[in-house]
Amino acid sequence: MALSGLQIYKLLPKTNCKDCGYPTCLAFAMKLAAKQASLDDCPHVSAEAKEALSAASAPPIRLVKVGTGAREFQVGNETVMFRHEKTFFHHPGLALRVKDTEDAGAVAEKVKMVNDYSVERVGIEMTFNAIAIENASGDPGTYADAVKAVRSQTALPFVLMSDDVDALKAALDVEGDHKPVLYAATVDNWEAMAGLAKGKQVSLAVRSQDGLDELADLATKLGDAGVEALVLDPGSRDLGESLAQVTQLRRLALKKNLRLLGHPIIAFAGEVADTEEGEIVATTQFIAKYAGIIVMDRFDPAVAYPLLTLRLNIYTDPQKPISVDPGIYDFNNPTADSPLMTTTNFSLTYFSVAGELDGSGIPSWLLICDAEGMSVLTAWAAGKFDAETIAKAVKTFNAGDKLSHKKIILPGHVAVLSGELEEELPGWEILVGPREAVDLPAYLKQL
Amino acid sequence: MSRYIATRALRGANLIVKEFDAQLQKALAELGPDKEVQFTNTAYYLPTILGYTGMSVETIGGLKPVLDHCRGLLHSPPENRTWLPYLGETLDAGVATLLAEEGIMAIRFANGQEPQRMPGLELTGTSAPSDTGYMNGPIDDIQLRSWGIQLVDGRMPGFAAIIGKAKTNEAAVEIVRQLQRRNILIFLSGNVNGRSIIHQLMEEGVEMGYDTYIVPFGLDTISTVYPMGFATRSALTFGGMKGGQTREILLYNKYRVFAFALALGEVDDLKYATAAGAITYGFPVIADTVIPEIRPTGITQYEHVISMPWDDIEGQTDAEKAARFVQQAIEVRGVKIKITEVPVPVPYGSAFEGERVRKADMRVEFGGKYSRCFEYLRMVGLDDVEDHKIEVIGPGFEDVEEGGAIDLGILVEVAGRKMQEDFEPVLERQIHYFINGASGIQHIGQRDIAWIRISKGATDKGFDLKHFGEILYARFHGDFGAIVDKVQVKLITEPELHAEWLEKARTAFDYRNQRLAEMTDEAVGEFYSCTLCQSFAPDHICVVSPERLGLCGAYNWLDCKASFQINPTGPNQPIPKGNAIDAWTGVFDNVNEFVQQGSHGAVDTVTMYSIMEYPMTSCGCFECIMMILPMCNGFMIVSREDPSMTPAGMTFSTLAGMAGGGLQTPGVLGIGKYFIISNKFIRADGGLKRIVWMSSFLKETMAEELKEAAIRAGDPDLIDKIADERVATTEDEVLAFLEESGHPALTMEPLM
Amino acid sequence: MPVTVEIPKERWTGSIREVTLGATAEQGGTRAKTVTVGGETTLPFLHFEGEMPHTPIVGIEVQDSYPADWSPVLLAAWGDVLNDPAAWAKKAEEIGADVIMLKVRGADADGNATSPEQAAAVIQSVLQATGLPIIVRGPGQAELDNKLLVAVAEAAPGERLALGLCEDKNYRTIVAAALAHDHLVVASSPIDVNLAKQLNILISDMRLPLERVLMDPTTGALGYGIEYSYSVMERLRVAALTGDGMTQQPMVCFVGEESWRQKESRTAEGVPAEWGDIEKRGITWEIATATALLESGADIVVLRHPETVDVVHETISKLMAH
Repeated sequence: MALSGLQIYKLLPKTNCKDCGYPTCLAFAMKLAAKQASLDDCPHVSAEAKEALSAASAPPIRLVKVGTGAREFQVGNETVMFRHEKTFFHHPGLALRVKDTEDAGAVAEKVKMVNDYSVERVGIEMTFNAIAIENASGDPGTYADAVKAVRSQTALPFVLMSDDVDALKAALDVEGDHKPVLYAATVDNWEAMAGLAKGKQVSLAVRSQDGLDELADLATKLGDAGVEALVLDPGSRDLGESLAQVTQLRRLALKKNLRLLGHPIIAFAGEVADTEEGEIVATTQFIAKYAGIIVMDRFDPAVAYPLLTLRLNIYTDPQKPISVDPGIYDFNNPTADSPLMTTTNFSLTYFSVAGELDGSGIPSWLLICDAEGMSVLTAWAAGKFDAETIAKAVKTFNAGDKLSHKKIILPGHVAVLSGELEEELPGWEILVGPREAVDLPAYLKQL
Repeated sequence: MSRYIATRALRGANLIVKEFDAQLQKALAELGPDKEVQFTNTAYYLPTILGYTGMSVETIGGLKPVLDHCRGLLHSPPENRTWLPYLGETLDAGVATLLAEEGIMAIRFANGQEPQRMPGLELTGTSAPSDTGYMNGPIDDIQLRSWGIQLVDGRMPGFAAIIGKAKTNEAAVEIVRQLQRRNILIFLSGNVNGRSIIHQLMEEGVEMGYDTYIVPFGLDTISTVYPMGFATRSALTFGGMKGGQTREILLYNKYRVFAFALALGEVDDLKYATAAGAITYGFPVIADTVIPEIRPTGITQYEHVISMPWDDIEGQTDAEKAARFVQQAIEVRGVKIKITEVPVPVPYGSAFEGERVRKADMRVEFGGKYSRCFEYLRMVGLDDVEDHKIEVIGPGFEDVEEGGAIDLGILVEVAGRKMQEDFEPVLERQIHYFINGASGIQHIGQRDIAWIRISKGATDKGFDLKHFGEILYARFHGDFGAIVDKVQVKLITEPELHAEWLEKARTAFDYRNQRLAEMTDEAVGEFYSCTLCQSFAPDHICVVSPERLGLCGAYNWLDCKASFQINPTGPNQPIPKGNAIDAWTGVFDNVNEFVQQGSHGAVDTVTMYSIMEYPMTSCGCFECIMMILPMCNGFMIVSREDPSMTPAGMTFSTLAGMAGGGLQTPGVLGIGKYFIISNKFIRADGGLKRIVWMSSFLKETMAEELKEAAIRAGDPDLIDKIADERVATTEDEVLAFLEESGHPALTMEPLM
Repeated sequence: MPVTVEIPKERWTGSIREVTLGATAEQGGTRAKTVTVGGETTLPFLHFEGEMPHTPIVGIEVQDSYPADWSPVLLAAWGDVLNDPAAWAKKAEEIGADVIMLKVRGADADGNATSPEQAAAVIQSVLQATGLPIIVRGPGQAELDNKLLVAVAEAAPGERLALGLCEDKNYRTIVAAALAHDHLVVASSPIDVNLAKQLNILISDMRLPLERVLMDPTTGALGYGIEYSYSVMERLRVAALTGDGMTQQPMVCFVGEESWRQKESRTAEGVPAEWGDIEKRGITWEIATATALLESGADIVVLRHPETVDVVHETISKLMAH
């Protein structure tokens, strides 16, 4: 039985020292109860309390940190099967795989492309997260050289892939303490791999060749051997079976509280598919379904952009929707005579309106107000989208300067604001548009 | 059941079955048993027979078992000494009558006698072989589907089967016009002494046929079986039933086909028998002559047989009488009228809700500083409302100088079979939105502090006092048709009457306040759910009780109750509270069960009156958030309007993230602000005395109510002992303040 | 000692209704074959714990007049057939559609309003051109939809078309037309579990059997609200499997329409270089949207680009193999 925030609070120091980063012990306790914080963040907690709380407060899926510095990323710590139950917390790291048998120039080109790739969406910069380097040559020396070469080209974290402990050891020697993921321990090499990972304090992937039993067996052994940060590869390279395996792993961790399988998952989209389209499909599936690291074999901006967008969408907190930046947006090359509409900065609201405007082909302006990311009606009800807010946005973004007219179109749901807005914006004509975005094109046509 | 009606109906049934027998024997002899019988261009064989018996009659010979079936349904007329209710027997007779009538029709078809010839009759749109000189005959399948779609989707409210002859030609025309105006289909048959409403309409030049929704079937009563066949075929086509599913077919018609029969002129035995048949479909009969009534409801939704002798109907002209006659029929059948356009001379729509009318643009105002304006909606009996009656009592504003003011009272009287007194305030609050929808009209306030302005622009276009009535009439029917059957509006400017009604209204407002205050959770059997917010908080359910309004503050128990009546499949469902598992903390077995289901298993227990144990979850719309302050042994309440730092170390918006989302978090609770003054307010945790910090916004805007609640809590100065953001923004500061002020929470039992 | 992991299986109590589109001559229509969707007793493609008796299917969108507003990528991919709905439908069948989704626009490219007679004529020509079952959608304005879809329903009695969109605003007329002429409806609600459920209740109150109702929970494309559709579909599916009878309808997603609407799949020039090649980007947009929604419970995905159709077919067959 999980403890409530109040029960946890009783075990905390109750000093409100804020060292955990939360304003009060109670607030911290509530976060612990929601499994959104780790007890480790409290430096003052007593040993007894730790004992009592550890079972209740440890996240069911362990957090694994990959890499160092600005490009470090974290995976794991997930608490739900479905994003609507709470949210998915740490989006999967996307990695591109290169091999030590490939031409060094070609590798350098790929690495540069991935390293430099960054694309913006709703004010968020989206990037790939890692390079996976496979020891296809089978030679530790070649491998270490390749790793070293790639490291000279990027700060991205690595997934070091070899079944040969010596090769990984050689690679680790040149990689230093950049905290790569070692891939992978198997039934054949796990003891040596455990030694290596433990010695270098890096996370270790474990690959099963025979389903979840073998995976659990290996994970147990590695745990016993003292390796804490594991990444799981349940082994299947079949699209459907992979789905079953990752679902089972997530359920075992969350619902059966099976700690030994409570680790992030690594998936190989390129190995699941033999075409680029197949790889897109596999990556889509792994983003939606439970992967922590996804290794791809191809990179193309035209593919990366949609997939990164999907990742952003799926990992959006359903209860705290991302908002778009307030400001004036243009559609279909508007002129000073084009109509100006306004709405809130709730992302779905924005996208509904933007989609209709874009699709209609009608040149227009859209003024996005800061309504704390709420939809029109919610924001209106909460007083975050009122005449004052709109007037302020009109002034802040100098909407008038872009226009030859002084007309602004309100969403139909807030028709009630028209009078007030008239007072807030002297000289402006306030028009009331349709309630739903879908009716905008028709409305604009008859305007 | 009137014995008189039973006697006449049974006699009529016996006669018609005998007639059917005779015609059948003749047909068997002349045409032979293998002669085909069918209604042209229709499926479902002989539909009434198919529906009632499941028999697919295709030949004359096939009618023999139908005759046997009819005989089996017949009983002798009741003897004078019998005082049993004869309902069953009479209805059986009605069924036998319809079957026999359809059998006779089939034989006529076989003989080439249907559709009947009618020299001089021209139809625009018909299934008859020619559009001149014929009655319509059975409505073909294409037309059935086309009208059927409109009947099913509600564009057409229903159909009226008119049998006989109206008192005068003018009356006939007016009755038909009244029905047409309401988009009701009109089927005609029967006669009185040889003259039929069909003759009357022909003489008056009324265009008949599919295009005008008027279908003449025949001069005899037997032709009335066509409308019954139409009803049966509707059920078979749109209800997906099969022949012989009698009960389902009849229920389908009762609940979905809003039809009624108008018996005009003298009612003979066969008409009584046919009427009995109509009643089995749930179609009531309204006669314009003196006949015994069958008031108690049962087979039909409301009354079965209503008598409205034409001469006794109020009204100077046949037109006025016809309006009342048809209105009565519609009410008895429960047909709902939809008004799609608000008939006012200015643009109308929600786009105009927020308009202001400035002093300079104003023609006249009611209320505000210079005059008094009130609005009062009350429920009255169905007989006490004349639907769509709009009266301006007293002078209009023509003589008021520009920009001037006069007193106005808006009295809305509604009646409805589902209306309840408790819905009065719920409906009354809508007046504000309804009136504001008119362009150039501004409405502020409510009850006796209403304030309305009409702009010059609006009066230039002809907007007048009576248009308030038109707006309210149309909108109450349109939006609240589920509970309101009739609406009349009085606009009172006459000083004496204004004073009188203002007084009455105030008495009613006091009574309502009183009633609201007295309405306790114990006094009701059910609470209401609200799942409006599940779109973003999928596992959250609000349980709304009389003493605990929704956390958004927008829905109280009465609102939910009315909302359920209006939209029975909507977000507000009744929760029979069931047995109290713990009456003090407010745990009820049925509520738990409902919440468990509605939260998809996320929450299995909920307390109505505690924040510490199994508190209700929150969607995120809360007006206020409460959170425990452990050091202070009490709770804080921060309101949405308060942006400042709270003693919990978080602002409202940070706290909202913790309180929302449908998670059960002991120690944290989202509430509507009026819950604070409820007697049930966190009763299990110590009630109002546990509040140690409260946003000053609440203290100020609810000063009166809080004061009273403090007195009820036995500590009149309590509110002053509660800290707010002006004196404390940390828990330590709150504690210091509490010690200073002597707050009761410090000496209460420890919370944890 | 070897470890044995007990595979965690949910014990679902509900299942999705089976819905059959189209009717053969024997069944009162003219379709060469019918297609059945639904019947699932588990979440999408989790064959280890339940049944998925029917393969999710792919529809291809065909419009009644030239779609001048479509992305240039699509116009190029389809070519001339876009001028002729019958030819277009035939081509769609060749490409591998399981059903045709005919969209009747309110007006042609020149702005001439579509009459009910024209709508009736176009459904008849498409019925003749293809033997596949057909979903028919109106322009999406309630009143116009009523007018055109009633005409379509009447022109194709007994064909078991799926008529849409049947929304809160106009469901009564569409359902009545389906009842009168023996069709199905596509019940559409705006990304909300309770509204979807409520509409199903209202439709079944009108006595249209739920075996003739498909559910459109409203599709948001990638980048344009897909996360909302994704979660609402998962919630509907979980509710259905836990026994909520009014959420157990197969789901249809209009993926093509939503994926090809925005500039990401329309615009080649004047967009950031990071967006890459327009054609590949557009197709990826549609593939990713379709895949994600199939994983959240779509039984029918309606697509626009021929290449996506192949990819999605292959994806489905991989996910169904077990």
